[in-house]
Amino acid sequence: MSALWPFIVIGLFAGSIYALAAMGVVLTYKTVGVFNFAYGAVAMFCAYTYWQVHDSWGISAWFAMPIVLLVVAPVMGVVFEAVFRPLTGLSAEVVIVVSLGVLAALQSLATLIWPIDQRLEPIFPVKTFVLGSQLHVGYDQIGTLVISLSMAALLWALLRHTKFGTSTRAVVDNPDLADMIGVHGDNVRRAAWILSSVFAALVGILISPSQGLDVNELILVVIYAFAPAVLGRLVSLPLAYVGGIALGVTGSILSKYSNSGTIANIEAALPYLALFALLVILGPRLKEVGAASRRFSAAGWASAAGRHGGLAGRFVLDVGRRRFAIDRKLSLGLGALALGILVPLAVPGPRLLVITGGLIYALIALTLVVLTGWAGQISLAQFSFVGVGAFTAGHLAGAHGQHFLFAVVIGMLLAAPLAVLVGLASLRLSGLYLALATLAFALVMDNLVFGRNDVSGGVSGITVARPEIFGVSFNGRAALYELVVVIFGLVAVAAYALRAGPMGRRLHILRDSPLAASTLGVNLTITKLVAFTGCAMVAALGGALYGAWQQSITPLDFMWSASLELLLLVILGGRSLITGAMIAGATTALQAIIPTSIGKYLPLTIALGVIGLAQEPEGTVRMTVRQTVHVLAVLRPLPKRRTGVAAVAVAVAAPVSVDADVPDRVPATAGSVGHVA
Amino acid sequence: MSLDDDSVLWAEEVSVDFGGLKALNKVSLRVPPGRIVALIGPNGAGKTTMFNVLCGLQATAAGRVRYLDQDISGWPPHRRGRAGLARTFQRLALFTRLSVHDNLVASWESSHRGGVFGRGRAERAQRVREVMDLLNLWPVADRPAGELSTGQGRMVELGRALCTDPRLLLLDEPGSGLDARETAAFSQVLRTVVGSPDGPAVLLVEHDMALVMDVCSLITVLDFGQVIANGTPEEIRSDARVRAAYLGDVSVAS
Repeated sequence: MSALWPFIVIGLFAGSIYALAAMGVVLTYKTVGVFNFAYGAVAMFCAYTYWQVHDSWGISAWFAMPIVLLVVAPVMGVVFEAVFRPLTGLSAEVVIVVSLGVLAALQSLATLIWPIDQRLEPIFPVKTFVLGSQLHVGYDQIGTLVISLSMAALLWALLRHTKFGTSTRAVVDNPDLADMIGVHGDNVRRAAWILSSVFAALVGILISPSQGLDVNELILVVIYAFAPAVLGRLVSLPLAYVGGIALGVTGSILSKYSNSGTIANIEAALPYLALFALLVILGPRLKEVGAASRRFSAAGWASAAGRHGGLAGRFVLDVGRRRFAIDRKLSLGLGALALGILVPLAVPGPRLLVITGGLIYALIALTLVVLTGWAGQISLAQFSFVGVGAFTAGHLAGAHGQHFLFAVVIGMLLAAPLAVLVGLASLRLSGLYLALATLAFALVMDNLVFGRNDVSGGVSGITVARPEIFGVSFNGRAALYELVVVIFGLVAVAAYALRAGPMGRRLHILRDSPLAASTLGVNLTITKLVAFTGCAMVAALGGALYGAWQQSITPLDFMWSASLELLLLVILGGRSLITGAMIAGATTALQAIIPTSIGKYLPLTIALGVIGLAQEPEGTVRMTVRQTVHVLAVLRPLPKRRTGVAAVAVAVAAPVSVDADVPDRVPATAGSVGHVA
Repeated sequence: MSLDDDSVLWAEEVSVDFGGLKALNKVSLRVPPGRIVALIGPNGAGKTTMFNVLCGLQATAAGRVRYLDQDISGWPPHRRGRAGLARTFQRLALFTRLSVHDNLVASWESSHRGGVFGRGRAERAQRVREVMDLLNLWPVADRPAGELSTGQGRMVELGRALCTDPRLLLLDEPGSGLDARETAAFSQVLRTVVGSPDGPAVLLVEHDMALVMDVCSLITVLDFGQVIANGTPEEIRSDARVRAAYLGDVSVAS
């Protein structure tokens, strides 16, 4: 058995790269108040750029390196600053959504431009030092450690001994005050973005020769940096650095014992376990930067509610004046369901299967609407619960599928305690930290649970039988479709009833002002837990259907990236609307049938759409409708001959007015127009 | 039975530390039933901190809070809310996406057992209607609360607090952002509320001295986290220390 110390030394080298990455993450959070989920994507993108310039075009590293570090990365930093600046003061949820959108955009852009799975040529000479009798240290490892340490030293010097440092501290302390004493907050923030991007670029370039250059892998590797960043409570650079090193060393020590399966799995999941554990332990003491100064500006919500008789119109359940409006909506929904049941008469089998899939996605998306759109909590783990439901169905429903209902119930009951676990991690947390906790949980599930052969059947996966319920077989495509459409319909009606009633109000007040809600008598913890757990259970139900639909499932179906993709679709479709979930489901189905020549651009389009629409709770379709109504309403009273000019003016002005930086002004105009219409 | 025993609220020697700073230093405070008590003091004296202590949003370093013969020091905010201890916020904390009416409905549901399961619809509708009538909120009933003016917003916050059937109302600067007419209307409403049978006692933090002198029967004065005076408006007006600390630079109509 070899000694322990070589593993510690190796761990130092691995840790130094996490430390570098963690500093970059902390830098922007501390200075700008944005936790950059896209950080890994920046690293990936810059590494690919370096690969393009150096490995592909054959330009010397002496030119390629400065191009990436001094041009590409800073430009990305400037772009990030421009994207996030207008979001200052908005809720944490919007900022998270945008940064997830940026992550997806960079990821899909890289997929379009570059071939997957490349490997960077080594940056350092492939030689090793020999330390003692047992340890060979590569030049690259030494190089990484030296670069990491010198960047840390550089950053320290910059923050301690320059005017930039003083300004940064002023901005971190109190942005408004800093502005008043003449510190240019925007410049400081831009500098922080640039520095952070350069750090990310370095991480990407240093890590790619050994880890490989892959769109998905590299993003995951940088999530390693999130745990050390949280150790520093997202604001302490030294703690983040130390945490990075500690993580590297722990991982390396574990790898010494990793011959047996479980420890190897734990080693792989270590950064995520650490992230989750840190969130639980530090939970009560974590605060969101700038949360206090955030306005209660829910202008978009308020206006939306006013115009569509949405929430505002709903109280009439008590008063009775507009009861018919609700019944109309409900009967529209039931009508749609009835039509839905008839679909198999008109649609051929293979297409029907695609539509069935879309409905299942819509069902899962519905849980995200409730969580994200109504309760304001972001979950990146919804597909982990889907996986729980699917694998349970696979194991329990047997070859003949007699016990499908039983399997569904067990799957939902298994999902519940897991959801409570994640919920407990976020007891006193909200927004960002809940999102991080769900991300960590999803990654732990990917690595520790779904990765196990006895759970998931490994790479080949397991089969799931088509259901048979009370002697009725749902083996045929049409039968399966009918089962899914009825279940979706029931859940959608239930969600609709929930939204209109006391439960829906409670979710909304939880989001609008948790503080006020608690002083009125709402137990925030219980409410959050119930919402999160309920949604997880419905997701597990969706999982059982998903399994029955696919018939063969593998762990890849339930990766955290699946959760992310669906979340983005829900935001695009409208996260406050039940129809938003249906749009999300329909888009997923669409992705399955359109030719790849067009389909390959879809992810990028979706990601860009999400960045643009992050502030718009009602998503694309509703917004398009409203724009049209807006235009028509303004046109109506005008004399005929001037209509043409006005149409152009309105068409030009309308989108601008909605995207304007002054959200407070929008609802007033749009709201009154809505009433006229 | 002495007056002490039937106090709705009785805070004893409450202390709060922020780091090394003593935000509150052994502050004691009493609110007798059916009275409006003011908590006044210069900015930074610790008034809002005291409010946060009373409604459970701020942990204390020492001291205890008694409410209706119970020691509620360790109670979380929602338990206090359910027990009839309601507050409003200096910086409005409305449920911006809900209509004004739904703000009140949500409040009733939050504070009454089973409300979230739709229990007691009739009672709820009646209580909400009463409060809407009292505060004249019908004209804005359908408006999302996020669109209201500050004055209207304060009324909605008061209405929301009233829907919890409070025994004690904590009002944090209810007069700020109101014009003279709105302030007059507000003090009228406040008197009606307190004067009604089973009306709550009120503790209010306020800078508008005219309003304070007008509606309050007792005043407690805070300065640098300590109580420097306690008494009726007349006593406070003639208190030298209070004049020096606070009233000296505010002209009080006498």
